[in-house]
Amino acid sequence: MDGSSLDSAELQRFLEQEKQKAMFSEMVGKLTSVCWDKCISGSPGSKFSSSESTCLNNCAQRYLEMSQLILRRFQSM
Amino acid sequence: MDSSSVDSAKFQRLLEQEQQRAMVNQMVAKLTDVCWDKCVTGSVGSSFSHSEVTCLSNCAQRYMELSMLTVQRFKSNGE
Repeated sequence: MDGSSLDSAELQRFLEQEKQKAMFSEMVGKLTSVCWDKCISGSPGSKFSSSESTCLNNCAQRYLEMSQLILRRFQSM
Repeated sequence: MDSSSVDSAKFQRLLEQEQQRAMVNQMVAKLTDVCWDKCVTGSVGSSFSHSEVTCLSNCAQRYMELSMLTVQRFKSNGE
């Protein structure tokens, strides 16, 4: 065994990529759920209204912003 | 087979590091979730209001504080 299958740098890179993918996936799911609850009240129409679109846009941005703020605060502790 | 014992120690360290990072990520996600519900009531704006910012800051700190208090209480009950 030449150890290439256990190459630390390669494994690290792979792990990092998989982590990123998993985190991205999780965030997408979370944003969808949170912003649906926030912005789609009443019965859904055949497309998003203008105010719903604005709300969804704001919601996603604010949630991500908050997530980053908290991460930074955490890192500075 | 000394190369595997070297890998094992390195692997242990890697695992520990990853566990740490996973815990941090988990806490950040939880804080974001909790503080969103607490502080962003009503409609969402194109930026956070001043009161929302204050709320978020307090929320995160208090939640962390509670988390640590809970751990301590748990420990002292076990003795």
